Amino acid sequence: MSQAIMSIDEVKGLIEKGRILLLSGDEAVLGQLPQGKWIGGTIPYFMSKKHGGISTKEMVFCTDLSDAVESANIIEYNENSLAKVYSEAPEDGFCFVLIPALSQTHLTFALNAPNYKDFGVRPLIGWITGVHLDDLGKVAPKVINGETGKFLEDAALVMQAKLPQGKAADIGIINLFEQGDGDILTFPQDGFSATDVFVNGEKQNFAEYLTKNNFDTKLPLVADYYGASVNISFQAVDTDAGEVKFYAPVFSSIRYKHAKPVGDYVNEFTEKLKSECGLDENRLLFSCNCILNYLYSELEGKKTDPMVGPITFGEIAYQLLNQTLVYLEIHDV
Amino acid sequence: MSVPSKSNKTWTDIVTGKKTYQLKFLAAKILLGRLTHAVKDDPSPGNIQKSIDQLHALFSKNAHMPNVQEDIKTIFG
Repeated sequence: MSQAIMSIDEVKGLIEKGRILLLSGDEAVLGQLPQGKWIGGTIPYFMSKKHGGISTKEMVFCTDLSDAVESANIIEYNENSLAKVYSEAPEDGFCFVLIPALSQTHLTFALNAPNYKDFGVRPLIGWITGVHLDDLGKVAPKVINGETGKFLEDAALVMQAKLPQGKAADIGIINLFEQGDGDILTFPQDGFSATDVFVNGEKQNFAEYLTKNNFDTKLPLVADYYGASVNISFQAVDTDAGEVKFYAPVFSSIRYKHAKPVGDYVNEFTEKLKSECGLDENRLLFSCNCILNYLYSELEGKKTDPMVGPITFGEIAYQLLNQTLVYLEIHDV
Repeated sequence: MSVPSKSNKTWTDIVTGKKTYQLKFLAAKILLGRLTHAVKDDPSPGNIQKSIDQLHALFSKNAHMPNVQEDIKTIFG
């Protein structure tokens, strides 16, 4: 399996050989690449084997699917047609999806994916594209269809990958966060922001509640999805407006708790890998990690092998996730 | 590996939360995270059946995967 950070020339060489690629890099770098069987998402942050965590606008992170898949199709979806992503997925394979952060497609997917027809019946993995943090609000995150060379600001690009007979794709997540022992928080409605929260069933203003209780908003809200921890990261707490914004939507049907604190990220990550994954590096096809993990855990220059890949503005493992590492394994069956 | 039919009572026990299992298949966990709460909020026979249909389809269409096969063993023995 092949995941590596590369120079533009190295990636050009792979594209010219007709390789099937998933790429990530700064917009200017991706724009220099020739057309071919690839999709790309904008981001200048990566985890690499060679450098550990690195921010660069010069290089491209490349996942080469060619030896693992039998065939691949690139499909462009919009915010409405993306609802077909599970139904249209190949029967023996997986789908890889890229969506630009803050686009309408991103917001729609985040809110509605769990209710899409055939949710989860085929593996769907991917990430939300971003920009350098200095460019936030100045440059729009994008995806690029390598077959056409077209950059898209509001769309989802999907690589539908068919696996050879005898292979199956499985998605995993590594989440350092677990529910703490505090209050049970529920929300009156689904959304990327909340004014009201039910604290153990009692309605309060959420911004006031967080401030009063001196919450560390670097630690996400955590939901227990039948044993899987799923995070909702905090974007901003506006006490004047009484509003709290998130990087992923809260859902009214789900119970949340504030996360337990994490000590040393890299050590705890390594322990988590050992205890939960039993991961054979030869089976690993793709992985990516959240920009909030990268920032809060100061991952620049640190290594998280065997997990490498783009640092993202959101991870997709069937649905949108936050502050999580997601990965795709290929098994013999 | 065959997936037990939808009429098996265990499916009802799972979606109603009467029985819980430690599963490995991520899609099933995420789906059940939502379905069990939805069934608690609306325990009507129609909603239970709809939830069973969705969960059964998820397992059936992924029955070739090692994690799913382990989960089927965990649930049905």
